Amino acid sequence: MQQKIYDVVVIGSGAGGGTLSSRLATLGADVLVLEGGPHVNTRTDFNTHALPFEFPSRHIPTMRPGKPGFDGERSRGLGGKTMLWNAVALRFSQRDFKGRQHDDVGEDWPLDYADMAPYYDRVEREVGVCANYDHLEDLPDGVFLPPVPMKCTDIAIQKGAAKLGVKVIHVRKATLSRSRGVRPACHFCGNCMAGCDVVAKYNSYDVQMVPALKTGKLTLRGNSVVYELGVTDEARVSEVRYFDRETRAEGAVQGRVVVVACACAQSVALLLMSKSSQFPNGLANSSGQLGCNFIPHITAGFELFLDDFIGKPSENDEGFLDHAYIPSFVHDQKRDYARSFGIQFGYHNRRAAGWARSIQGMGKSYKEAIKARYPAYMTFSPYQEMLPNDDSYIDLDYEHPDEYGLPRARRHWKLSEMDMKLHNDMKRRCLDILEASGAQIHSISEEPSTNHEIGGCRMGSDPRSSILDATCRAHDVPNLYVVDASVFPSSSEKNPTLTIMALASRTADFIADRLQKKEV
Amino acid sequence: MASYSSDRRRVLKLFGAISATCTFPFAGEELYGQTAHEHANFVPQSQGRFLNDADFKTVARIADLIIPPTETPGAIQAGVPEYIDLVISRDENQQALLADGLRWLDVQAKEQSADRFLELDERSQLAILEPLCAAADAEKPHARTVQFFALLKRLTADGYYTSKIGLIDELGYKGNAVRTSYPECVHEH
Repeated sequence: MQQKIYDVVVIGSGAGGGTLSSRLATLGADVLVLEGGPHVNTRTDFNTHALPFEFPSRHIPTMRPGKPGFDGERSRGLGGKTMLWNAVALRFSQRDFKGRQHDDVGEDWPLDYADMAPYYDRVEREVGVCANYDHLEDLPDGVFLPPVPMKCTDIAIQKGAAKLGVKVIHVRKATLSRSRGVRPACHFCGNCMAGCDVVAKYNSYDVQMVPALKTGKLTLRGNSVVYELGVTDEARVSEVRYFDRETRAEGAVQGRVVVVACACAQSVALLLMSKSSQFPNGLANSSGQLGCNFIPHITAGFELFLDDFIGKPSENDEGFLDHAYIPSFVHDQKRDYARSFGIQFGYHNRRAAGWARSIQGMGKSYKEAIKARYPAYMTFSPYQEMLPNDDSYIDLDYEHPDEYGLPRARRHWKLSEMDMKLHNDMKRRCLDILEASGAQIHSISEEPSTNHEIGGCRMGSDPRSSILDATCRAHDVPNLYVVDASVFPSSSEKNPTLTIMALASRTADFIADRLQKKEV
Repeated sequence: MASYSSDRRRVLKLFGAISATCTFPFAGEELYGQTAHEHANFVPQSQGRFLNDADFKTVARIADLIIPPTETPGAIQAGVPEYIDLVISRDENQQALLADGLRWLDVQAKEQSADRFLELDERSQLAILEPLCAAADAEKPHARTVQFFALLKRLTADGYYTSKIGLIDELGYKGNAVRTSYPECVHEH
């Protein structure tokens, strides 16, 4: 029997793979999604409402007893990281897409905000984003559900920041502030990143793929760890090779088009692992740029106590974690560095008080000091854009293979002098805002750290300096696409997921068009 | 624990009430809603105690001096010694640090003509521990005795404030609840 050839084989089922595969199935393409992790039942499998004292070690496992998933990079589960994300959904602006034009360094995207706007509209309508219409040029408004009120502690920061001319806005999240179809509105239990069991928070599986399954055009295959893409003499992906995560049985599938959406570093790793005589340094890597230009978000962290709330009665202010955001405000100011930062704050929940160990003293006064500070505790984390440099890249570690015997993706990053200038100014400005808000600083991160993996497989108009074209198609391999944050030529300081989704939706349209015109 | 379970049942009832009273147009099998956690996660401590009786008692005493009973129970009643025992059982470096520290405490006790730290009165026990606490609070502890105290303070704080007594009775945690909307702030700022 001849093996079925799918129109599109998608590897990965998160924000990128979920958005793209559901869109293509809805447009009538025959789509297979391969996900390395198991099928996770959102309603029953996560420890969403567990509390630490239910466990002797006080550590709350992600999954409920006996439920597999999310125990490693190759075995997250259907829905990928959207199952456990914090749902912050920000549009990039024209400045973000054209950083080089704005600051004269870094790299521009091969597209403009105007190209992306309709796709942002589409995904916002599809998944539901609650936000306020703020009319900011640098953080474009979209199609919004009503915002959720700020927390009392947010208003203290808002008043403090206002003294410095800094604006605090409502957070923008892909979480429902009112019910939509089968999804209820958020019930503010404060456990968003423990898996939202009612799907008030967007995840790609329940929100996009489950409805798309009704078309009969979408096939999901979990526990299928893809380790290699085979390539023909004509530089086309011929076959997607995988093994079953549990039985290790090997298999291969074919698609007219193959889309890699394994989340930044894993997508880069899969292409690097796919070596052939034509592409000895990794698939679609004639430029030698695969893995280069790794530009994760760089963060700092503050813990603080707000004076106004010390000693106040404890209230339930869990909400859906952070309810406010400080958008970039330095990008139009005179400064001695390029790019900018935004600030997320108050995204902790009160299920833990890890800071208690570093309050001074012991005995009754120690206990009282912790109780008094508990309602006043807040986290504060600015996120900055970093510029690409030669010391920041993803490669493969063959020396220390993972449990499946596959090389691990290894991340290297180093901040340039310019990045450090931004980092230090960012921390200073955070301290200014906190001081103006009446905050006692409890801790400050000493070293920069990373979050939101971005870059490594960037899009661009020049095949010598990029892997993909403006439609996310590989310059070298005409039936290969990548849709996740690895494709971003610059990171912005804004959270990447909504842009991953908009790009994936846009790429889905290009693929559907090419399939229809029989160009693939 | 028993009262928490009944709280949990109340929470689940509330979920039930919401899905019954809120009007979802597509109510039925497809509706995403809270699923009852019939069997809660309480995992029984499967292993026996790691520390010997004497050491366990001393650790428990120190934990209760760090977080004493006040209007709310202290570390011992909150099960902190059992938590410390579990954590220590998994880390050889911590075991060595604890053993050295406990031995040192008994040496201190002997200088005050007691056989063991546990036999000292509270004031004498605090006179030994409080300087260690002050040293542990003052940046990175280098002396091994200070590291020993820092370890016990860290584990006591972690264990107490993740216990039901610490988190709910003492701190007043009220989250993990179901609300139909998030309230506007009514405080004066």
